[in-house]
Amino acid sequence: MTPRLTSDYLELPGPLEAIEAYFEKSWSDGLPVVPPTPKAVTAMLAAANLAPDVILGIEPVKGAVITAEKAAINAVMAGCKPEYMPVVAAAVEAITKPEFNLHGITVSTMGAAIMLIVNGPITKQLEINSGVSTFGPGYRANATIGRAIRLIVMNVLGTRSNDGLDKATLGHPGKYTWCVAENDQALPENWSPLHVTRGIDESDSSVTVVSGLSATQFGEHEADTPEGILDAFAQRLYPMGPSVKQVILIICPEHAAHFTTAGWKKEQVGQYLFENACKPTSEWIAMGFPSGAQKDSNAELTVENDDEPISVLDSPESAIPIVVGGDGGAWSAVIPLWSLGSRSKVVTRPIITKE
Amino acid sequence: MATDTSENTFRVLDPTSPQSIVTDGMAERPESLKGMRIGLLRNDKLNAEPLLDAIYDVIAERFEVASAYRINKGDASRPAEPDLLGDFSNEVDVAILANGD
Repeated sequence: MTPRLTSDYLELPGPLEAIEAYFEKSWSDGLPVVPPTPKAVTAMLAAANLAPDVILGIEPVKGAVITAEKAAINAVMAGCKPEYMPVVAAAVEAITKPEFNLHGITVSTMGAAIMLIVNGPITKQLEINSGVSTFGPGYRANATIGRAIRLIVMNVLGTRSNDGLDKATLGHPGKYTWCVAENDQALPENWSPLHVTRGIDESDSSVTVVSGLSATQFGEHEADTPEGILDAFAQRLYPMGPSVKQVILIICPEHAAHFTTAGWKKEQVGQYLFENACKPTSEWIAMGFPSGAQKDSNAELTVENDDEPISVLDSPESAIPIVVGGDGGAWSAVIPLWSLGSRSKVVTRPIITKE
Repeated sequence: MATDTSENTFRVLDPTSPQSIVTDGMAERPESLKGMRIGLLRNDKLNAEPLLDAIYDVIAERFEVASAYRINKGDASRPAEPDLLGDFSNEVDVAILANGD
């Protein structure tokens, strides 16, 4: 039996008129959308074995409900294939967890995007790019899964920048779409992929959501040791201020290879940065963090403790390394989280496929 | 309700959801602030406190208010906790909120 869709509909002469109508109604992100016909939406739901009225998530602040039907409509609009729907559904579940703080990160002047990191066997099945130009264009799964999540935020939650709740001062291009897979072929030897680090079985697939600000890419072409590479990372972490709660470290394959050579474990990355990427309080204050530079959130820095070294990380676990990118080039990056991770946490959820 | 395309029309679905926010409208206004306990609820942003203090100074100059009661909801990106608002409402007669970014 075909599931019953309950959304209102428009009747138009054809697809081109539909595309224009969705622009007119502010239902697009500024790019043309695929017109969501009932047939296409039904196929999207069927691929994930979801009934239209299943609730995938409830945004905690406003209580806005995201049903499978609304998610599927927006996924069709984004250009998703039906087989992408399980990833979209898991991502909706993840972004509506209270610790992600979806309302805060999408309406704030800080202007975060929602970055999706997909792990597990599904990344190969769906051909989610993790290699050359990982953050760039050219891959349907990357482009459309990330876009689906943004359209859901805009249309289902009403968080638009043109006539809605999105008040970002700058925003960044990741707010159109931002979805990658981890490059598990380039992981250093004996490193677990991100989903295993975050408690998912290696044979399962997952999506991890990050309230990502603009990435800072840097080249480190001379260092050939983990210490040298992480010292370069530290220079890009310092501008965030001390005691960063969570931050994504994007390690490119060429850099990752040096961790294999040195026999480093994944846990050593955060430990090294926590212990070595430190500055005395006076330097943090000189960098412009007089009230933000805090060893904990309740203690402002003062001149009385200006010799005390404070790490750029709140703890060794604050660093979340992932490996992505093409084989050539020594270009890595840091991705700060909204509120530097203090009020939005990275969330990982398993992807439930039809089988 | 929604079915597939008919012969002469191209049918497409609405991607939006009705917004679920329900408001209670405006609170009843007091006739005067004289003798009132003034609540000042700040949102944890840097400038919320001086903004509220400046507003309170003007009010206190013009009216014989009873007192000021200041609290911080502690997180600008989330609603105040119900318990905190409950305690606050017991301590004040009127309240002023500020988002001082």
